[in-house]
Amino acid sequence: MLSTLFGTSSVPLLEQVVNFTEARHGVLAGNIANIDTPGYKTRDLSPELFQEKLKEAVEASHATTAPAYGYGNYGNFASPQSTNAISRVDRSFAAFDKVKDSYKSILRHDGVNVSIENQINEVVKNQQEHNLAVGILANQFRLLRAAISERAA
Amino acid sequence: MPRNRKYLRLSSLTSERRTNVRLESLTYGTQPMLNSFDISTSALVAQRARLNAISSNIANMSTTRNERGEPEPYVPRYVTFQTDTNITSSGGGAGVKIGSVDYSTEQPNMKYDPGHPDADAQGYVRYPNVDMTTEFVDALEASRSYEANVGVIEVSKNLMENTLRIIA
Amino acid sequence: MNPINSPTFPSPPPLLNPAMGPAQSGDTSFKDMLFDSIREVNTMQLDADKAVEQMFTGGDVSPAEVLTAVQKADLAFRLTMQMRNKLMDVYQEVRDIRI
Repeated sequence: MLSTLFGTSSVPLLEQVVNFTEARHGVLAGNIANIDTPGYKTRDLSPELFQEKLKEAVEASHATTAPAYGYGNYGNFASPQSTNAISRVDRSFAAFDKVKDSYKSILRHDGVNVSIENQINEVVKNQQEHNLAVGILANQFRLLRAAISERAA
Repeated sequence: MPRNRKYLRLSSLTSERRTNVRLESLTYGTQPMLNSFDISTSALVAQRARLNAISSNIANMSTTRNERGEPEPYVPRYVTFQTDTNITSSGGGAGVKIGSVDYSTEQPNMKYDPGHPDADAQGYVRYPNVDMTTEFVDALEASRSYEANVGVIEVSKNLMENTLRIIA
Repeated sequence: MNPINSPTFPSPPPLLNPAMGPAQSGDTSFKDMLFDSIREVNTMQLDADKAVEQMFTGGDVSPAEVLTAVQKADLAFRLTMQMRNKLMDVYQEVRDIRI
């Protein structure tokens, strides 16, 4: 039951996004540090490919998830139908973990020598995505904490 | 951009001067708020290229020989901008790109100096037709433009930070 | 001084939580109202999750919309939680009445 605590929320997706933005920040920082190195080719983690992989993971998790608790029978949470749904939710998380393993295929080495303004632009945009994802993630955790502690404020 | 100059339009974009490379491949899809960063950055890149051309003109003000050492004066070059519809934002904003790099077609300045090694048969030396005042004013304009675009990026970042405060 | 049943007296303001409507509708039991509001909160949470998914997989939603949806779901949940806490307190009080 505890592993499905985050199952039906957007937390696994947000975790993957935060991982990606952190990794991409490192790569872009390396580009900026090497801006004057002769013969250096800029590298990048492609956001489009990441979004595609993420979309696949999201669709995979939707295909295997059924609502964990049926609202038709709110007096009867322990029905066999609901326990079956829980084990299906478990297996859908593997799809999100695969996104992290796919970073190598997303890495691009073929950057033409773009200027420092482009690199800084990418860093700033990456930062905005990161802040967004972290903000929403923090909000989700706070919500769970409110539910657990039964304090509405 | 001074309007009384005559420009010879080259075929667009010599390869080593091109700096606005493939911005569209770096964008985050159609994310509305993030596209404003791309637009401002395209302006930064374009203004920097313009500044490069201006500094090249000023540096070569008295250059009477070309890169092969022949007595051919330096030809001033000018950058023209063009709206780039590859970089757009919702609401109809568009980025900017370098439309072309043009060489000036004005006649070089003739100075009478018979003792100069590059003097021609009549004793005139041909100097590039670069007016330092105009170039300087252009450089100031490019630099203010650059600052303005950096200011816009700051405002965009502020917008995003304030948006995050919805859930803070 | 206007009497309360004068026609010019303004009608009482609508209640903030439409799920807890006035009892004179008669047909909805309290249990149904409670479960309706829980179901609504769940729907709002699912919608917010879907909006977040769309934003991070390249969709066309703006961050402001998504954050507003998330915050609305958050507030709806907290309101329901507070309602449930009050109900528990009421039940405790009733239980402590000494006959």
